[in-house]
Amino acid sequence: MNQLRLAWRLLKRDWHVGELRILLSALIIAVASMTSISLFTHRIDLAMNDQSGRFLGADLLLTSPRAIASAITDHAAQLRLNISRGMAFSSVTVANEQFQLAHIKAVDTHYPLRGSVKISRVLYGEDIELDHGPAVGEVWPTARLLQQLQLKPGDTIELGEASFTVTAVLKHDPGQASSGMSIAPRLMMHIDDIEKTGIIQPGSRVSYQQLFAGDYQRRQQFEQWLTPRLNATEKLIGGRQGSPALNSAISKAEQYLSLASMLSVMLAGIAIAMAANRYSLRHFDQTALMRSMGATQGQLVQLYIYQLLYLGTLAGLLGCLLGYLAQQGIILLLADLLPPELPPASYLPLITGFISGQVTLFGFSLPAILRLKSVSPLRVLRRDLTPLPASAITIYGLALASLVAIMWWQSKNIMLTLIVLAGTLLSVLMLGIVSSLLMYISRHLVRRFTGPWRSGMQQLIRHRKANQLQMLAFGLSLMVLLTVLLLRIDLLNRWQAQLPEQAPNHFVINIQPYQVAGVSDFLKQQEISTEGLYPMVRGRITEINHQPVTDIDHAQEDEALKRELNLSWTSAIQTNNKLVAGRWWQPEDEGQYLISLEQGLAQRLGVDLFDEISFQIAEQKLTAQVISLRSVQWDSFQPNFFVIFPPASIDSFPGSFITSFYLPQQHKHKINKLLKQYPGLTVIEIDAVMEQVKAILTQVTLTVEYVMLFVLFAGLMVLLAAIQTSMDERIHTAVIMRTLGAQSAYLKKTQLVEFCMLGLFSGLLAAAGTELIAYGLYRQVFDFEFSLHIWLWLLGPAASMAIILFTGWLSTRRISHHPPAQVLNA
Amino acid sequence: MNSPSDIIISAQQIARQVPALDKSGARKAIDNNLHILNGVDLEIKSGETVAILGASGSGKSTLLGLLAGLDLANSGNITLAGVQLNELDEDGRAEIRSRHVGFVFQSFQLLPNLTALENVMLPLELKADATAEAQANSFLHRVGLGERLYHYPRQLSGGEQQRVAIARAFVSRPAIVFADEPTGNLDQETGRQIIELLLEINQELQTTLVIVTHDEQLAAQCQRRLLLENGRIRENTK
Repeated sequence: MNQLRLAWRLLKRDWHVGELRILLSALIIAVASMTSISLFTHRIDLAMNDQSGRFLGADLLLTSPRAIASAITDHAAQLRLNISRGMAFSSVTVANEQFQLAHIKAVDTHYPLRGSVKISRVLYGEDIELDHGPAVGEVWPTARLLQQLQLKPGDTIELGEASFTVTAVLKHDPGQASSGMSIAPRLMMHIDDIEKTGIIQPGSRVSYQQLFAGDYQRRQQFEQWLTPRLNATEKLIGGRQGSPALNSAISKAEQYLSLASMLSVMLAGIAIAMAANRYSLRHFDQTALMRSMGATQGQLVQLYIYQLLYLGTLAGLLGCLLGYLAQQGIILLLADLLPPELPPASYLPLITGFISGQVTLFGFSLPAILRLKSVSPLRVLRRDLTPLPASAITIYGLALASLVAIMWWQSKNIMLTLIVLAGTLLSVLMLGIVSSLLMYISRHLVRRFTGPWRSGMQQLIRHRKANQLQMLAFGLSLMVLLTVLLLRIDLLNRWQAQLPEQAPNHFVINIQPYQVAGVSDFLKQQEISTEGLYPMVRGRITEINHQPVTDIDHAQEDEALKRELNLSWTSAIQTNNKLVAGRWWQPEDEGQYLISLEQGLAQRLGVDLFDEISFQIAEQKLTAQVISLRSVQWDSFQPNFFVIFPPASIDSFPGSFITSFYLPQQHKHKINKLLKQYPGLTVIEIDAVMEQVKAILTQVTLTVEYVMLFVLFAGLMVLLAAIQTSMDERIHTAVIMRTLGAQSAYLKKTQLVEFCMLGLFSGLLAAAGTELIAYGLYRQVFDFEFSLHIWLWLLGPAASMAIILFTGWLSTRRISHHPPAQVLNA
Repeated sequence: MNSPSDIIISAQQIARQVPALDKSGARKAIDNNLHILNGVDLEIKSGETVAILGASGSGKSTLLGLLAGLDLANSGNITLAGVQLNELDEDGRAEIRSRHVGFVFQSFQLLPNLTALENVMLPLELKADATAEAQANSFLHRVGLGERLYHYPRQLSGGEQQRVAIARAFVSRPAIVFADEPTGNLDQETGRQIIELLLEINQELQTTLVIVTHDEQLAAQCQRRLLLENGRIRENTK
């Protein structure tokens, strides 16, 4: 208890002089940045789930081939969830003596619960956003249906036994993705009109839909309640299941944000280590004195550990508070872009931030602080007796271990953690070697300079070790900043480039083999370019290694086993597919029952290379051996397949072809032309889904830029800490030089030269380190080609020099105000 | 209180050597040692004032460090307050210092971030003495700094800083105070005042005072004078 009190008193006393303020500030910023990023990403993550919920027009969608039990809606109502009732089915629409199969979606007055419906009052008119569907007696067909039926808004359309007025053109249905890939053009109507059409009879194929929306916790509660009560035909679709393409985009965004979070942890660690080292160095005398007064080593260790605990708790609490406020600030700033009501964050990021703060503090400061334990009491007589620094293994080992622990904990991705760390370690190693080399060169060049240049470079060389350490810190923080910048510019560009303006927005299916040549010619004539036409045979997986899939516990619930899959065959691997195991077809494989399986499906089914999978195709069963696994870029909007056969193996089975292409809005009429020529084809419009994916990407880009501001801020703290570390010595040197007659201008120039060189060297090293990290990330995580970035090598040193010069000038401008006598007498 | 006849410090045949350095500063071979102390014998009685004199580099401060238990001799025995120092580990020696020893240094060794009062409180706080503040306050008044309690060392003159250091050395009422060149950083007049104060308080508290100095004036005021020469000690009675 006494020790605790004494530790607190000593801490308070130290506070007056301010040396602890750096440590505390660094730690507060560390915790604040970790907490805010973690809170923000957590809430954005929740919001993204919400946003993806807009693909359903709700947070949750329950579909069933039969009317949904009222008990379910009653329970949702009890939980005060918003509820909307809908139906989806296919039916023939009639107008101008033309018939057209349409996908009908009937909605109630509450639809949509999330997102908005977009219509226009005339064909290809301006978008109007609405928060409701059509009124009773009205229908909203899509442009394609109107064209096919030669209708315009204001006309009448027949549906079963009733007729309705077309009051708008449906442009975007927020729940589009929920209806699955609907084949026919769409039409939206009011659910109360269904009865008078007389379309729905017992045995009709209808998807009854119940939509739910509400705050995160109630939704969770409802989901937990409902899931075990669902029967085999009922399906509950949460946000993410709404669209596999969207799911992949969100996963990438999360990877990116967690990377930014990791980088900020690393920066914070550097700042804390530097501050702790300064704290330790400044306490040699106090420790020696206390030892001469009879304090034991144990007592001192206890005292310093208590001090760290006080600091950690204080900084942890303040950091959490600041992090929370900062995160609220960002959300306020982004109010226009974020969903109106972000789900509340749980306490977890706060607890994670607090604990990570303590781990960072102890991991990075303990070796420096424990060094105080070995201060000799004889130092009171002989100031030259300095305790040996802790062994490199202890210092770096502990820091590294805590860094890995925090980064892994925060990112939940060991691969990403290890790559970032390996990049950092490699660059630290490289930094050490190269900075020694740069110092060596400077030492030989210094003689060629005169005046402040010479003096500045001499300063750089004289404090070689300290400056190399600073270079390491500057270089590392800059490397982190450049990495984030590189990712923002390069990675997001590449990522968005995967969804270029002209990404396919239409799928055409049901192309019969005899129509392939004709359809190809048609598309060519109309100047519509495609990636090609892919054959498709529908088949169901029945056995894995001769064991019926219904007997395989881990696999039987997989969606892919509950339905027929589109099986395809190609001679060459598709451009957006990548072979991850096994080998691609050789000419002799043609006609063999061999397959290439998508790796995700393979993992879920527990299938490995050379396993055998049996398919039921039409009336026939065949067994094929897996000889390769592929990764598939599902968000490329190209036709993609779980299972691919070699040519000439399954082409005798009845099948059809699929293709996808880009078609701008004003050329939609070409689809009608195509359908007129080939009435059996089915066209799927996915441009609306694409628009939503793009909107999400934009939001993510903005989020990431804000997260980068935090990393930048943390980086600047490292710079300040590094300059602060050398401040006493700088003041001392300046005072001595002034005592010897140096002018202020000379001293300033000397400082500028030193900071300039420090900036240049750090910048060069940072650029190199960034390239290393980028290489690792591109190759291992993001699956991109790597090439050197010239702009990094220009921007790195330039930015580094500018930042260090500015920060250096800001921190050292008061040096010339110190009266020499005061400093020399101290 | 100890009686004057009690031996509070005794040293027998103590030797201290350090590896000699060559021109480049690198350590030479083990057998090429620099012998700082070479068979020092001495006894100091409780309550005595003893000056250890010697030229610069004669090993005065090394001897003080050994006698105070701040360092260990390469050979020989030192007994402080009845305890053999070379039989104790560092924590054991710290315990002895805590109970029996106070220090005054040439460079004052005040902690710059602590006020005068806090500096004086420190040794008592380490012993968890609940009356630390009151005692420190009283001692600072005693050394004439009653008005300077809350000043930081940088706000005090050299003489005042040394007064704070004296208060700190005596506040825990040690049996023995070691002073290492206590006037070395002060002008003659201030030095004289500091010596007077030191001896006065020493007299009041009946403390044993061991002063390392090359100041003949200061040494002349001590009961015994020991001269350190060529690593050995020679008695110079007044």
